[in-house]
Amino acid sequence: MATVAVATPYRAPRTERAKSIRRHVLIYLGLLPFLGLAVFPIFWMLVTALKQEPDLYRMDVVPFWFHLPPTWKNFDFLFHRTSYGDWIVNTMAIAFWVSAITLLTAVPAGYALARLRLPFAENLGIGIFMTYLVPGIILFLPLARVVSTLELQDSWWSLVAVYPTITIPFCTWLLMGFFKTVPFEIEEAAMVDGCGQLGALLRVVLPVSWPGLITAVIFSFTLSMQDFLYALAFVSVSDQKPVPLGVATELIRGDVYFWGSLMAGALLVGVPVAIVYNLFLDKFISGITGAAIK
Amino acid sequence: MSQIAAGGGPSPGAPATVAVGGRVRDISWWRTPTARRYLFGYTLLAPAVLYVALLVGIPFVFSLYLAVSDASVGVPVARFVGLENFKAALENSAFWTAVRNTVVFTLGAGIMKGLLGTALAFLLIQPFKGRRVVRALVVIPFTLPIAVSVLGWKWMFDSQFSVINWALSRLNLIGAYGSPEWPVWLGQPALALFSVMFVNVWRGFPFSAIVLMAGMTSIPPEIIDAGKVDGATFLQRFRKIIVPMIAPILFIGSAFDTVFTLSDLSIVYLLTNGGPDGATEILPTLAYNTGIKAGALGRGAAISLSLFPLLLPLMILLLRTLRRRQY
Repeated sequence: MATVAVATPYRAPRTERAKSIRRHVLIYLGLLPFLGLAVFPIFWMLVTALKQEPDLYRMDVVPFWFHLPPTWKNFDFLFHRTSYGDWIVNTMAIAFWVSAITLLTAVPAGYALARLRLPFAENLGIGIFMTYLVPGIILFLPLARVVSTLELQDSWWSLVAVYPTITIPFCTWLLMGFFKTVPFEIEEAAMVDGCGQLGALLRVVLPVSWPGLITAVIFSFTLSMQDFLYALAFVSVSDQKPVPLGVATELIRGDVYFWGSLMAGALLVGVPVAIVYNLFLDKFISGITGAAIK
Repeated sequence: MSQIAAGGGPSPGAPATVAVGGRVRDISWWRTPTARRYLFGYTLLAPAVLYVALLVGIPFVFSLYLAVSDASVGVPVARFVGLENFKAALENSAFWTAVRNTVVFTLGAGIMKGLLGTALAFLLIQPFKGRRVVRALVVIPFTLPIAVSVLGWKWMFDSQFSVINWALSRLNLIGAYGSPEWPVWLGQPALALFSVMFVNVWRGFPFSAIVLMAGMTSIPPEIIDAGKVDGATFLQRFRKIIVPMIAPILFIGSAFDTVFTLSDLSIVYLLTNGGPDGATEILPTLAYNTGIKAGALGRGAAISLSLFPLLLPLMILLLRTLRRRQY
C-alpha cells in the first residue's frame, strides 16, 4: 500500500515525459522531409558558391562537402569581372524609389479608405486590390510600349515606373487594414486641439502608424524582388539590370555556366531578402487572407 | 448599400447629409464637414487610383487593342487585323501544346502543393519545441526571390553534375552517366515537365501550409473538442469541422496561388525555356517569346490574353469572397 502511494507521484511525471518525448520524435520525423526539401537547395547553393571550380565537377567523391579548401574566388569574380556592383546599386535604387512612390500613394489612399467614411470606399478598396491580381504576364507587352513611349527602355527607371503597379494595390490594402486599427479618439483629440484633417493625419496618425509604414516599405522591397518578367522584358543593358536578372542572364555565356558565381550572386541578395520577408511573412498572409479569418 | 453601411457606424451624420444634399445643394452642401471630408478623402485617394488606372487599367485596355492589331517591335504604326492573331494562335499547334502544359502544370502542381501543404500544416500546428525555428526554415522556398532559387535548381538538375543524380546513382536507383538510365531532368520531355512542376511545388508548398495554419488556428478549439466528445473520429472531425471552417481561407489561398502559378514565367524560362521541343512550353513563355523575342507584339498580346479566361473565374470568385466577408 505504502509503496504504491509513494510510487505514483514519481511515475506520473515520467510517463508524461516519455509521452512528450515520443510525440516530439514523431513530429520531428514528420517534419524532417519537409525541412530537407526546403533547406537542402540553399545549403547546396552555399556550398557551390564557396567551392573551387575543380571541386564542383567531381562525381567520384561525396559532393556535399569541400575536397579543396573553400574559396571567396566566386564572390571576387562577381565584383571584379561582372557588373554585380552596378546590379546591387540598381536594386537598391529601385527599392528606394518604389518604396517612396508606394508610401506617397498607398498611405493616403489606405487612410482615406479606412477612416474617412467615403461613399463606395469598400468597393474602391477592393477594386484597387483586385488590380494586384492582374498579372504581369497580361500587362508586360502593353507596358513595354508605355516604357518605350516614356523613353525608359533599357533603364532601371522603367522598373521604378512599373513595380508600383504591384506594390500600390497590395500596400493600400494592407494599410487600409492597419489604419482601421488606429483608434479614432486620438484623431478626434488632435482635431479638438485645432488640427485640421490633414494636420491630424500628418502629426498624430502617421507617427503612431510607423509599424504599418515599415511593413509597406518591406513589401515594396520584397515584392519587387520577386519580379523577373518585367526586368527581363524591359532591361537588356548589362549595367542597368537588377540583381536577379543580372545573375540569371550575365553569368551564363552560351553553354558555359559560372555555377560558383551564379550561386554566390544569387545567395548574396536572396538570403537577406528571404530573412526580411520571413520576418514579415505573417503580415503578408494576413494581408491577402486576413479578413477571411475574422 | 455600402455608403449607408460605411456611414452607419461612428458617424450618424453622413447618410443624413447626403439625403438632404439634393434640397440644399445651392451653397451650403459644399461647406458641410461631410463634403469637405469627401473632397479631402478623394484627394488622398487620387494618386493611388490614378497610378493604378494609368499603369494597369490603360495597359490592360491597350493589350486588347494590341491583340487585334499587327503591332510589332520597332514598327510604330499598327493596322487593325481583327481576330487574326487569335486565329493564328488557335491554328498553331505550339499554342495548344502550351495550353495543355499550362493546365497540367497548374493543376498538377496545385494538387501537390495542397497535399504537402496540408501535411505540413498539421505538423506545424502541434505544439513542440523549436516550432518557430522550424517554421522559419520551412518557409525559405517561398521567401527567396524566385529567380534566385530557380538558378539553384538549374544547377541541381544539371545534365552531368546533378547532385540529385549523384545521390540516386549512389543508391543504385539509376544507371551510370551517359547510359539511358541516367535521367537528364531538363532534357527529357516528361522529366522536364515534372521538374518545372516540382520547382513550383517546392516554392509554393510553404505558402499553402502557412495559409492553412492561419485557417486552422482560427478554429475555436472548443468546437473540435465538442466533436471529440461527441465521438467523431479524426477523419470525421477533419471533413465535417476543419474543412468547412477553413474553406474560405483555403479558397483564397489557393486562388492566389493559382493566379501566380498561371502567370509565372520565370521557372520555365530559366530552367528549360519551353524545351525540349515544346515539352514545357506554357502560355507565359510562349507569349514572351512571341511578343518580345520575336517582336510580334500583337501575336504575343493575343497569347497572353488567352490566359484571361483561366484567370477571370478565379478573380470573380475572389472578388465575391472579399466582398462577402465585409459585413
